[in-house]
Amino acid sequence: MSASASPSAETDALRVENLVAGFGDLTILHDVSLTVPIGKVTVLLGANGAGKTTLLRAITGLVTPRAGRVTLFGKEIAGQAPHLIARAGIGHVPSGRELFPRMPVSAHLDLGGRLCPPDQRAALRQRVLGLFPEIAERLGQAAGTLSGGEQQMVAIARALMTNPRLLLLDEPSAGLAPKVVLSVFQTLAKLQDQGMSVLLAEQSMTFGLSVANRAHIIREGRIVLSGTPAELTAERSVAQAYLGA
Amino acid sequence: MIVLQLVVNGVLLGGTYILLAQGLNLVFGVMGIVNLAHGSIITVAGLFTYWFVTHTDQSPLWLIPCVFVAMLAVGAVLQRLLLEPLAKLGTRRELLSLMVTFGLSYVIVETALNFFGSQYVSLPNLQETWSVGGLAINEALVAAGVLGALISGCLHVWLHYTPSGKALLATSQNATGAVTCGIDVRRMRGISFAIGSALAGIAGVLLILILPLSAPTADTLTILSFVIVALGGLGDYKGAVYAGLLLGLVQSGVGYYLGGDVEVVVPYLLLITFMVLRPQGLGQAAR
Repeated sequence: MSASASPSAETDALRVENLVAGFGDLTILHDVSLTVPIGKVTVLLGANGAGKTTLLRAITGLVTPRAGRVTLFGKEIAGQAPHLIARAGIGHVPSGRELFPRMPVSAHLDLGGRLCPPDQRAALRQRVLGLFPEIAERLGQAAGTLSGGEQQMVAIARALMTNPRLLLLDEPSAGLAPKVVLSVFQTLAKLQDQGMSVLLAEQSMTFGLSVANRAHIIREGRIVLSGTPAELTAERSVAQAYLGA
Repeated sequence: MIVLQLVVNGVLLGGTYILLAQGLNLVFGVMGIVNLAHGSIITVAGLFTYWFVTHTDQSPLWLIPCVFVAMLAVGAVLQRLLLEPLAKLGTRRELLSLMVTFGLSYVIVETALNFFGSQYVSLPNLQETWSVGGLAINEALVAAGVLGALISGCLHVWLHYTPSGKALLATSQNATGAVTCGIDVRRMRGISFAIGSALAGIAGVLLILILPLSAPTADTLTILSFVIVALGGLGDYKGAVYAGLLLGLVQSGVGYYLGGDVEVVVPYLLLITFMVLRPQGLGQAAR
């Protein structure tokens, strides 16, 4: 998985330009632009209600954008039906995990695996279960009966089974014990080592900056600050003011 | 001996009840709406079966595959024309879909009244009674119960062991999660209503074997199906199986010991009792 393999020499997995989205009369995202470089983790930092989830849902088509462009590896996807965007190669780990509570863990992997070419499915499953040994032992258990951390792992595993070119993670740390959060972020680091492009929405600056190569801060539906983790750490007081911390 | 007889009758009745409820359950699970036209589809299929058998002298069981296929198509068209436009309306969808399916039920019942009249009819077929080890086993009850359970079994196998069924089951448990797996939820809504209608159609063919039906029976059947679905836990297919069997058994016992008038109110008494004591439904016993 290397950028030079792409004939158009695309450097961005995802490019969002001037995106506007909302619900009914309410506009949540105002003119949002950001990029996710190929093979890197980009973090989207923001307080509760800043628009992180809406942005991720607008990228995956769960919320229809009103204006703007969304390009996945050079291909325009804004306005497409959400299942087609999933098929185009975005793996979405939504907020609240959105698992199938009465279906076993293995069914989650199978359902994600529908989007993976059949001849690669078994190998991908091996790789995904290698990342999450905890859930490998619970394949037959109903997802609704798992702990919060295990559910988060199933949600990520399901998204990885779609064989995505870009992974969107919506606050995977929400509601988890610090120790579990740490293991989720270690997995993210492993994914980055494997060359996965990731956009991570996160509230905690410490956690977010620990894994990311690039960060954007969103506040009231606008990107207010962008930079490398080093730059944001240098401007920590400004960044934290935006995050409402 | 009488207890065993009541249990056998109850289980067979339950087999039909399971099928009665699964169509409604499927539509509720995937589309999040209560299809108030469910009973009218069952009734019209039953009345059509009566008309067909009395006019052609064929076995009503031949109609099962025909009605299934015909109702698949009818259900798919109805969903596309009447219900899919509501899907984008968010929470308003729930109330509007009740009004639409109520209206649809009314149209179907009135049309049925015009075609079939309002008198109760029942089929004279399969009225043999077999004596097995001292038990009197009614042929129609066996046909309806066994076929009802068998078709529900097919639904179960489809939902749990085939890719398309699993996609539908996943959609019913979490539509957003299904979309992230590339499942076309809109198509799943169409499929669920088509199959829901087809199952209601078959239920009608089987029901006329064991119960007299007339056009106005539609509302009672909608409510009865809803009671079974609610007893089992809304959208829970395994729960509906337990609920159908329970209702069959209790009705069979109550009907014998306390009479037909009490038997009729049994579903509602059970529903109220369960809503108070066990609102999550029978199927969630494991948790």
